[in-house]
Amino acid sequence: MASYKILFVSTNTEKAKQIEEIIEEMHQERLNDYDFSFADSELLASDIMKTQLPDIVILDSAANNLDLISINRTVKTYDNVITILLVEKDKIAKPELLKNSNSFIQEPILKEILISTIEANLRTKKSLVKLADSNQELARSLYQLNVLYSTSSKFAGTLDREKLMDALIEGIDKSLSFGLSCLLTFKSETEPVLIINSLYKIPDRLLEGLKVRATISYKNLFKNREMPFELDIQNIKIEKHIKNERKEYDFSVLRADTLFAPISTSENCVGFIEIFREEKFSTEDTTCFHTLAQQVSLPLKSANLYEIKERTNKKLEKLERTKSEFISIVSHELRTPLTAIKLSMDILSSGTAGPLTEAMETSLNRGKRNVTRLTGIINDLLDLSKIEAGKMDFKFESSKISPIVEYVKNNLEGMAKEKNIEFITTLDDNFADVYIDSSRVEQILTNLVSNAIKFTTENGKIEIRSQVVDAKEINLVEKFSETLACLHGKYLQVMVKDNGIGISEENLTHVFDKFAQIENSLTRKVGGSGLGLPIAKQLIESHNGTIWCNSKLEKGSSFYFVIPLLDSYSKFLIDLKQNLQKAKVGNSTLALVKIRTSEEILDEIKTQILTEKHLENSAYEVQDDFCTLSLAIPEGDKYSADFLKKRIQDFANSNKTLCEKYDIMFSYGVYPRDALDDIDLIKKVNKSFQTIKITNEIS
Amino acid sequence: MKKILIVDDEQDIVESLQFVLETTGFECHCAYNGEDGLNLAREIMPDLIILDVMMPKINGFKICRLLKYDTKYKNIPILMLTARSQEEDKLIGEETGADEYITKPFEIADIVKKVESYLGEKAEG
Repeated sequence: MASYKILFVSTNTEKAKQIEEIIEEMHQERLNDYDFSFADSELLASDIMKTQLPDIVILDSAANNLDLISINRTVKTYDNVITILLVEKDKIAKPELLKNSNSFIQEPILKEILISTIEANLRTKKSLVKLADSNQELARSLYQLNVLYSTSSKFAGTLDREKLMDALIEGIDKSLSFGLSCLLTFKSETEPVLIINSLYKIPDRLLEGLKVRATISYKNLFKNREMPFELDIQNIKIEKHIKNERKEYDFSVLRADTLFAPISTSENCVGFIEIFREEKFSTEDTTCFHTLAQQVSLPLKSANLYEIKERTNKKLEKLERTKSEFISIVSHELRTPLTAIKLSMDILSSGTAGPLTEAMETSLNRGKRNVTRLTGIINDLLDLSKIEAGKMDFKFESSKISPIVEYVKNNLEGMAKEKNIEFITTLDDNFADVYIDSSRVEQILTNLVSNAIKFTTENGKIEIRSQVVDAKEINLVEKFSETLACLHGKYLQVMVKDNGIGISEENLTHVFDKFAQIENSLTRKVGGSGLGLPIAKQLIESHNGTIWCNSKLEKGSSFYFVIPLLDSYSKFLIDLKQNLQKAKVGNSTLALVKIRTSEEILDEIKTQILTEKHLENSAYEVQDDFCTLSLAIPEGDKYSADFLKKRIQDFANSNKTLCEKYDIMFSYGVYPRDALDDIDLIKKVNKSFQTIKITNEIS
Repeated sequence: MKKILIVDDEQDIVESLQFVLETTGFECHCAYNGEDGLNLAREIMPDLIILDVMMPKINGFKICRLLKYDTKYKNIPILMLTARSQEEDKLIGEETGADEYITKPFEIADIVKKVESYLGEKAEG
């Protein structure tokens, strides 16, 4: 049963009585409760409005000595109050009054008309109120949705756990405006944090109470399960954010309406959030709250994973640095005493310090040989630590292999003669050019040949052969097929073949592993650091080549390496690799830019847009009627990739007739934003070609 | 007799070099740290300096630069002894003006040959 209040404003008590009677009858006929009041002055009318807030006000237009217009204005300041104007018979009411009333009835007052007008208006009012309510609800939902949206984009934008928690609390506060929120989370397994956001100050006793409550709530989350993190009330750290320091909460705040949600990554529950508010939470509020608490779970998981990854990375980096430093320091520290030993031995064996017996000389030579060996090991260690740290300096230039082969052969011929080993070199490469660091290739070859000498018995045979091969012709050795599969185009191949002791099948793939030799007692007899082949492999890979071997026990081994023949693209790829290495070590960026179109346009672009420095760092390819120009742009160049694209766009717009015939395609990628190594970067760039469109604006 | 200054904080190395070079027929002066080395170089005006890189007080590169940028000493040949450590690698990028770098451990015969070639040339020229 609803209750309605009706106010009649008039100076005529007769009419008031008549209306009161009708309403009294209405009250009895209908089930609703009607309450009548009467005002005969402005003051009384506004007082009743204030104290009783009637639903309907009936204004008697005949009450000339009352300021009905101002009374009506007062009435309209209240929401959804209906005015009905009582108009005298055959008279016209003041237009302003009429305009601002919901409806009117004419005298004489007829019961049916009055009742139906009142009821109709009440129905309207009811729907109006409903509409206003649902409007408000809609606005609220919209607002909450907005908050949800902006909060989830905040979630997506961060991998920082603390920022995620802040965004969660902010989102919940914005959409639900709580008085107090408690969020329990873990900084690490043993570091629980209770983040308290409160409208008012929290006294110490209440704070202790909140801690106890948090501990119980957390434990309740895992009734029959194991807790991922142990929670000890003594360890809980408090983070407080108070909005208004002048007021203070007491324990009664805990009796306010409350919402609670666990916070979990998809696997683990890692905390909870609880909020308190004076005003009751609606169903929508509850949904909104739980949605927000759920939404944080996925980013939280990513944040945790990211944190773990970062921590591991840092550890690894530190380990790597420590290792490099350690090797460097040790090598340096070894060198100095080694120098003193060597000097003393040299002095003795030179005879300046006194004559030597044959036995003394043999003994001294043994010592000297081992000093040399130790020096070799130290050099290898230093080389490897440099390569691994990306700090090896290469001096690439176009050169030929044959002089290097000759040099190495001459250098090691003496060593081979000692074992009466026959040396054959076949240079079948037609003096092909390769892009190499000659001293490094010499190092690789020296390594392979001296290994061959070491592992070949007396009167053996060693063959060195260089030739140009196509990737398709390369003899696939099953164990190395994976590395060989990456090769295409023409290569210069060098083979070092011996008929020595050979390598067993299971050891074949491990010969390029660091310290592989150490496991083999036989090789310890032969000497060496066990780092020669791993170093050779790394050096060859810096040349974009590959090294592999083929062997049979007791029959001998063949080691092969290939280096791409020199052309603008293979040179570019090696330079790119070097540039990228520099960027990696220096923590800077490198952009790879590709421009692809027909030759005519590319020539124009080259001469009009690119600087000489660009062209130095570039390569030129022709494939399927397309010409592609690849450029590497180190950080700090004012010609950034974006800038270059804009220049080409401008060029296309101002050379319409020339450019309309051909598409200009542009593509770029940036290390480390888009890729982690050179192959990745090239792949990315090759995938993202975009046509540069000529705009049709008339300039 | 030609004067050679040997500067290295490793006494064993200094003494061995001294022994060999003296028996070859040179007059040797020795210093065991950078500061003494620099002072001695200015004092005795040697015909050649053998200089270690990593030393306490003043490192070899610095001494080398100080001497090479001084018109009075710039013509003295300087042979630098290096152990190729990372610290040295960082320093080596800078121009020092050294005439020769010799990596430790070295062949004594190499040093003698180099010293003779520098001092021989100088005597002739």
